[in-house]
Amino acid sequence: MAKRLSAEERRATIITVAKRLFAHTGFHGVSIDDIVSEVGVSPAILYRHFESKEELYHAVLQEFSATRESYIEAVVADDIGFEQVLRGMTTVFVSSIMNHPDMLKMEMHSQLEDDSSASQEFFLNRWKSFTDYIEFSLNELQSQGKIKPINAQAAALMYQGIIREVLLLKCMQHSDRFKDTPIAILVDEIITLFMKIVEPLRK
Amino acid sequence: MSFDAELDAKGLNCPLPILRAKKAIGALTSGQVLKIVATDPGSVKDFEAFCKQTGNELLSSAEAGGAFEFMIKKS
Repeated sequence: MAKRLSAEERRATIITVAKRLFAHTGFHGVSIDDIVSEVGVSPAILYRHFESKEELYHAVLQEFSATRESYIEAVVADDIGFEQVLRGMTTVFVSSIMNHPDMLKMEMHSQLEDDSSASQEFFLNRWKSFTDYIEFSLNELQSQGKIKPINAQAAALMYQGIIREVLLLKCMQHSDRFKDTPIAILVDEIITLFMKIVEPLRK
Repeated sequence: MSFDAELDAKGLNCPLPILRAKKAIGALTSGQVLKIVATDPGSVKDFEAFCKQTGNELLSSAEAGGAFEFMIKKS
């Protein structure tokens, strides 16, 4: 006889399956029936752990959006400039998303479905590290007279847009673009593209 | 606890508080203390890792009123 799962294990299994399904078709594209038939339990068991589909969805989102990267390795070396730090941070982030592409898809669905609290969580936990770093650094470089005036906030948002697009294309099953591109090359392309905005402005 | 320099990193997400702290520590002399106040919950682990890697001493790490306060002594 198969070993019975503990309540905790069962909950984790439901979340794992729900993650994959929600990432694939979004909140509205998945029914409780879809989830229970994949998990192989009755709806009653699922409702013992989650009161509603909404509650399950938010538990999944919570798990995704609260995941944070550590960028220490990317910033601790001596004498590294803006571009190198950004490259290091981007490598950490891109590698993490490629290991968990469902996270990116779910974030996209949360935005399309206008779930602003989820989008906000994703921004604070996942993107703000980049926007803070870029905005602060570009403003600092400007005040030191090292680059010509640039709208640092707009540049930070643009960077977020570039990463998002590249990662979505990379992680989408039906996109051939970047499909066989290794992470290092992908990050190189992102950085090169972005530095075109900053680089020509250097004195 | 007394300190020689203070860094306000409130509202900033890691790694920016770490980068700013690194710069501030660079301006100190050995044995001097930098106080950092941050609000990013990730900063607790990050400052521990930072001190471990750089050899600077994390004298204290405390939370008060939603902010995190760190005292780092330059090696």
